[in-house]
Amino acid sequence: MRKLFVLFSILGAQLLVNPTVYGQETGLTVTFGGGTFRMDDMKYLQDYILSSYPVEGKVTSSFPPYFTASAGVVRKLYYHVRMGGLYSYSTTGGRSNYTDYSGKISTDMIAVSHRFGAFVNYTILENDRLDLSLFGRLDVNLTDMSISSSVNILTLSSGITNNYRSIGPAGSVGLELLYKFKEAAIGIEGGYMVDMPGKMTEKDTGEELLDPDDRQRELTMDWTGWRLGIKGIVWLNSTR
Amino acid sequence: MKNKRYIYILVGFLMLCNACLYSDNEIFYVEPIPDLPPVIDVRTNLDTIATPVVEDSLLVEYDISIQNGKLYFVEAWLPGRSIYESDTSHGSFWLYPHDVLTPGIDTLHLDIYYSSNTNSLADVTGYEALEVNLKYGILFKW
Repeated sequence: MRKLFVLFSILGAQLLVNPTVYGQETGLTVTFGGGTFRMDDMKYLQDYILSSYPVEGKVTSSFPPYFTASAGVVRKLYYHVRMGGLYSYSTTGGRSNYTDYSGKISTDMIAVSHRFGAFVNYTILENDRLDLSLFGRLDVNLTDMSISSSVNILTLSSGITNNYRSIGPAGSVGLELLYKFKEAAIGIEGGYMVDMPGKMTEKDTGEELLDPDDRQRELTMDWTGWRLGIKGIVWLNSTR
Repeated sequence: MKNKRYIYILVGFLMLCNACLYSDNEIFYVEPIPDLPPVIDVRTNLDTIATPVVEDSLLVEYDISIQNGKLYFVEAWLPGRSIYESDTSHGSFWLYPHDVLTPGIDTLHLDIYYSSNTNSLADVTGYEALEVNLKYGILFKW
């Protein structure tokens, strides 16, 4: 998968620097939206941590759909084809809590995904104002996760934070509908991302995060899910 | 110049992203339902002696029974000096004349800490205790 990504990156870079297409429209693109995240292992880990509470706590949130955003450079290479590079940011998390008059126990899990990748858009329908296109994208997904647990009982308090990191490839496909202006375009994009998460390692010690019930199984952060966002493109050297 | 403006917007966007970090401050507040309140009964061999006297030594024996609760800690002390500590419900310890600074009548304190049975987080983890303080007048002879 890594070789495929390297190949894809080289091909993309070749196209972007190809002198025969120099002078085509180049723009900046920004997308704000939300996404769903599978995170099966993290939900499992959250339940496991909750079961270790000495009292009956509750999962108050478990990796719900949350914020995603992207920004990058886009270049219109051919009449129907746009390519570019993107950075994407996604975040979600989970929380377990128990609170009574004598104290509280909390576990906060905060996950952040930084994706760097290249995309291709192919316009399937277009008129003067609207542009409907298919897109495909290949990324490297760098994920950070912090798991913080704290206990406060009467005047006593204690806490621990572990930070984990993983890296792996991810791919997306979807549809994009843009309303075109003279030097810009705005619209919506939606799609599905498949994440192939790598193993999670503790940042300080390098230890892998393993299933507490099955020490042979590595836990992963799986960002697979649907994405939907509002997209804008500003053409910097529009030829319209 | 126009292009620079867009680049600033892009940089601003990247900075804004990190401000959107996921957060959840919801709490799950519970009113613990207490079990039956603990009932404690403490007996010592000093109970039947009007004024215990320590000449050479004196053995103090105690027996603690707690219904609906758990004993955490027993401490016996004289003013300025700890004599005995234990987490067992039956036990004994010795008193000696020179446990006190000056001869005469002094007070032996017997402090007993036991679970509250409130089922709160502090109770379940052993940090919430009820307390019984018993006092016995002892005559120390040098």
